[in-house]
Amino acid sequence: MEKKLINKKVLMKGNEALAEAAIQAGCRFYAGYPITPQNEVPEYMSQRMPEVKGIFIQAESELAAINMIFGASATGARAMTSSSSPGISLKQEGISYLAGAELPAVIVNVQRGGPGLGNISGSQADYFQAVKGGGHGDYKLLVYAPWNLQELWDLTMKAFDKADEYRIPVMILIDGILGQMMEPLVQTSYKQPKLPKKEWALTGCAGREPNVIKSLYMGEGELEKRNYKLKEKYDRMKDTEVMYDSLYIDDSELIVTAFGIAARIASSAVKKLRKEGRKVGLFRPITLFPFPEKEIEHICKGNRRFLTIEMNMGQMVEDVRLSVNGKAEVDFYGRPGGGTMTPEELYDVIKKYM
Amino acid sequence: MTTPLRLKELSKKEDRFTHGHRMCSGCGAPIIVKMVLLASEYPVVACSSTGCLEVSSCISLLTAWKIPWIHSAFENAAATIAGTETMYRALKKQGKIDKEIKFITFCGDGGTYDIGFQSLSGAMERGHDMLYICYDNGAYMNTGIQRSSATPFGADTTTNPAGSKIPGKLQKRKDLTKIMAAHNIPYVAQASPAHWQDLIKKVRKAFEIKGPKFMNVIAPCNRGWRSRTDDAIALCRLAVDTCYWPLYEVENGVTKITFKPKEKKPIVEFLKPQGRFKHLFKPENEWMLKKIQEDIDHEWELLQKCSVVEEKAKAEEK
Repeated sequence: MEKKLINKKVLMKGNEALAEAAIQAGCRFYAGYPITPQNEVPEYMSQRMPEVKGIFIQAESELAAINMIFGASATGARAMTSSSSPGISLKQEGISYLAGAELPAVIVNVQRGGPGLGNISGSQADYFQAVKGGGHGDYKLLVYAPWNLQELWDLTMKAFDKADEYRIPVMILIDGILGQMMEPLVQTSYKQPKLPKKEWALTGCAGREPNVIKSLYMGEGELEKRNYKLKEKYDRMKDTEVMYDSLYIDDSELIVTAFGIAARIASSAVKKLRKEGRKVGLFRPITLFPFPEKEIEHICKGNRRFLTIEMNMGQMVEDVRLSVNGKAEVDFYGRPGGGTMTPEELYDVIKKYM
Repeated sequence: MTTPLRLKELSKKEDRFTHGHRMCSGCGAPIIVKMVLLASEYPVVACSSTGCLEVSSCISLLTAWKIPWIHSAFENAAATIAGTETMYRALKKQGKIDKEIKFITFCGDGGTYDIGFQSLSGAMERGHDMLYICYDNGAYMNTGIQRSSATPFGADTTTNPAGSKIPGKLQKRKDLTKIMAAHNIPYVAQASPAHWQDLIKKVRKAFEIKGPKFMNVIAPCNRGWRSRTDDAIALCRLAVDTCYWPLYEVENGVTKITFKPKEKKPIVEFLKPQGRFKHLFKPENEWMLKKIQEDIDHEWELLQKCSVVEEKAKAEEK
């Protein structure tokens, strides 16, 4: 039962919206495992996948789920898994292997407070893990950080295209708040861009040379060559895949930088301060890797100052500092451990730095 | 001296798992924990994997445990307690500790049958002196009733919802008790909180045996089973009386049924009061009920064939 979408506005829960967007984008293989606050993703998939003749598997662990994605992706399927922070930690080995074997996949992290078992509140403490590698070896994920459900819908679809285009695992980094919240979104229909054929996929080699998918390169210099190839890919992404959003940047003396849900909360405070005539703006990276380094460097002029706001102890702020490269002061305000800031709180915080 | 196996005597003992925990009313897990901890006078160190029991028994800085208790993650309770037990043995060897301490884990079926199975199997094979207790309620109840490999055939869960096309879970549950017996460890048992004397006797026996022990205890969950809270123990009794959950033990490879129902009840008596099996009573799913009964009959027969039935057990139960 294929759902026909006529750009209808619906009220949906974040976790369910991303699951439906994945199905619309042609995802027909999902493997997951229970962990709060992402349970609605496997639950939704368990109902929807049979309707579209897709596969839903509840694995016996996160480790199993990510490796099922490895197996499905190797055959050319659009495959996805989801989890929340502790579960994403368990998946790291598989993610590194996906990156090493150049297999496309979409991995959703509905972040919760950590470290350890932490709690089940929304958090942004997995920025480093998502952006700086996470697992072992030199690799990167394309990381999307949407701030509302419409963007979550759109980026989930885009994630599958980019995963196939670059043959990389793509991570959608949201948090418990976005996963659990309900808000209206327009269910836009999916239009697949022109993508290279998956000639590398393991589809049975009758009549052609066998394909090889692996991340093991033992020959002298082989792995080095492989890593250069990956780097070339990541560099290409840096040139073409950067996404960001900004608000009142032009005449701002203070620029708030934030991603995901923290940016959304900060935007309320920024708008309120603007109404009072304060020269403050908001810069929001949408891709966390590739990070909008050049764009931040570009807006770094005069006596402009930066204030990075995150729901962690200060992670993205390091990338903001690298981007401004000493040319501006960068301050930080954060709430770790699943703590969520309010617009009123950020209004006071931002004011203090003006 | 062990307390006589009478409610009058046992109720005088201090609870080592107290009130104040946040488990639901009618939940089987705290009942089982209390019974196990009442079973003996030994000092006990316990470990739980992530799950309802763990989350609800240590809210913020409060704890319901009156014994040393440790939690680390979801997949490794057996490994965690193995580390603790090994350190205890080392301290004992060094003469820094002389008490006889018992080590237990209390884990749910998700953390035992699925994600924790590797660490459980490893700890049993290495031979740690520990008792692993699984409270089996047949799904991931803590995260919202997702299926596990302990979920019985036909049950409705949030990740195998019963609908018009797929009538609930289509796979049979893993027989973990038998898998643990196949580890050739000194003691494996299956128990039910409805037969509390049998359960306590098994725990006492396990405590007197050196080496790795495993007990699988059925635990009612009214949220997941979609049953009445006050039916919890009655359902556990029905599980035994229908031979869905036979009470038996495997001691040094010898299987012994510890309680044989006078009259084996039809499985529908166990299924009917539970909403998770509601759809099985639709005419189109009659084959499933039939299959469940056939499977139980077959497994019960196999179990009887390989076991020594203790006639006394029935009498003692009363």
